[in-house]
Amino acid sequence: MTSRAADARTPRRGWWPGPLRQTRAEAAWLVVAGVLSPAALVVVLAGLAVGVALSPLGLGLLVLAGVVRGMRLLGGLHRRLAGVLLDAPLRAPAPVVLRPGLWHWLVARLGDRHAWRAGAYLVLRVPISFAGFAVAGSLLVFGVAAVSYPVLWFFTRDVLPVYNIVSRTWPGTVLWAVGGVLALAAVPWVVHALAVLDRQLGRLLLSGPGLLQRLRFLEETRATALEDAAQRLRRIERDLHDGAQAQLVAMAMKLGLAKEELATDTVDLDQVRALVEAAHGNAKQALVELRDLARGIHPAALDKGLDVALSTVATAAGMTATVSVRLGRRPPPSLEAVVYFAAAELMTNVAKHSGKPCTVRIDEHDGVLHLTVTDAGPGGAAVVPGGGLAGIAERLRPVDGELTVASPPGGPTVVTAEVPLPR
Amino acid sequence: MRIVIAEDSTILRQGLVELLGLRGHDVVAAVKDAEELRSAVRAHRPDVSVVDIRMPPSHTDEGLRAAIELREELAGCAILLFSQYVETKYAKQLLADQAGAVGYLLKDRVAEVSDFLDALRRVAAGETVLDPEVVRQLFAATGRSGPLAELTAREREVLDLMAQGRSNSAIAADLFLSAGSVEKYVTSIFAKLGLPPSEGHNRRVLAVLRYLGV
Repeated sequence: MTSRAADARTPRRGWWPGPLRQTRAEAAWLVVAGVLSPAALVVVLAGLAVGVALSPLGLGLLVLAGVVRGMRLLGGLHRRLAGVLLDAPLRAPAPVVLRPGLWHWLVARLGDRHAWRAGAYLVLRVPISFAGFAVAGSLLVFGVAAVSYPVLWFFTRDVLPVYNIVSRTWPGTVLWAVGGVLALAAVPWVVHALAVLDRQLGRLLLSGPGLLQRLRFLEETRATALEDAAQRLRRIERDLHDGAQAQLVAMAMKLGLAKEELATDTVDLDQVRALVEAAHGNAKQALVELRDLARGIHPAALDKGLDVALSTVATAAGMTATVSVRLGRRPPPSLEAVVYFAAAELMTNVAKHSGKPCTVRIDEHDGVLHLTVTDAGPGGAAVVPGGGLAGIAERLRPVDGELTVASPPGGPTVVTAEVPLPR
Repeated sequence: MRIVIAEDSTILRQGLVELLGLRGHDVVAAVKDAEELRSAVRAHRPDVSVVDIRMPPSHTDEGLRAAIELREELAGCAILLFSQYVETKYAKQLLADQAGAVGYLLKDRVAEVSDFLDALRRVAAGETVLDPEVVRQLFAATGRSGPLAELTAREREVLDLMAQGRSNSAIAADLFLSAGSVEKYVTSIFAKLGLPPSEGHNRRVLAVLRYLGV
């Protein structure tokens, strides 16, 4: 039956406990998180108290910002733990968008919505932590004690030191043992119920973009893609207008003059020669400009694959670049073009800012295309709003691509673009 | 003729200066944006200005706006708009003052140097010169309704050439007609468009404007 097959593959999401392996993981989660989250909450609250106390000095704001950052990190820790133990893979929330300047940093840090959500998670997890130890823990202890009572009774004939387990007769102890078995059988249910609650809480407060956010993201990136296409067309029109078209008009003008000069009785050959020469120059320039423009629209070399196209970019820019492309199969043309233009722009950046040789690597891990452009230049590259790297990142977004930049002062600079490949 | 050139593309500006110089005209100023055009025309009072429509800073219609302003400010300021594309809206705005001494040509027309210089001369002389492409688009936009519908095919042809700024004798040569028959067609066009004889020379411009739906 299809439904059972599906059940076997996907972990059970209802209130019914799963297989033993799952219950063990859930119990481990209750123990680890049961200690971790209250401890984290205490540290966070202490930090907040210090921050508030120091806030008249201004220094407190820095402390607060640090604590908020800490909340985000703790949220991330819980999310990852839950991902492993609760089998609840959650999407990480978007990173904080930082802009240069202490004030911007403070505002961005203190206003980090996801960090405060993680803080709320720590607070709301307190009852679950408590319930984990109080209910599941005592059921377990009682169960083990009661089940072993019939055996212990022979030696001690006494009351057990836990839960006041006592019986005068041996059959009475068996009754206790039955109760213990029942208690132990209830443990997986309780553990699972708490885990289900925890999953929901995590999904609510620790996870990143849900469907609504995804929808908003798609709307935004669609607008970006449309705007980008419109801008590209405008740029092509401008380039044509100012470039090839102007050259051709100038050429026609000169040839027109030459033609009319040749039609006169007293031809000034020197003038005609100069005019034709100038027109020839215009024609050649127009050809160059048209070729550049055509390459900007769609590089012909891209038809032969990313490695050929990117090697051509390197040669055209007169730079030393090692290009290696290792992909199982060719990405669809639209994606290939996006990756090509990102790589070409990154390489042009290297040529412009670093002048050092660069390495371009394109490979695939787990269905994600990785483009890495490395150079040994002076470093210090950063994604700043309106900057070149921000533009590349923006153009990668419609294909769910992400750009990361590592560029410490002194270099080297490593820019990585990750683009999911279609399945 | 004393001429001012406003054109932001260096290569075309220099080309025009060279072309007009070779043909014995005096280019008193060659400027690259609308602001400079305004001061150059005010300072030199040229016989005619050749103005690119699209110039910095916004690269939209700076040249056209400067031209309209200058024509309001200086009576009889002759301007030939020069553009790489045809925009009927611009043509209508330019023609709206019905004062003549305007032209709107595609840049391609410089290839026929003599025709271009002829157009420039006619604009300087107070006539209206429109690129055939401008006429075609304006006419397509106007459609064939109203009094224009009453024109015969031949009359429409004559009017089309009038809109391009051709004189009667040029029209006669183009259509292989005698000067007399062209005259007859023109009179008939004026009558059908309801332009009384008293308006004199300006009737020609008015007929064209009506034709173009300005």
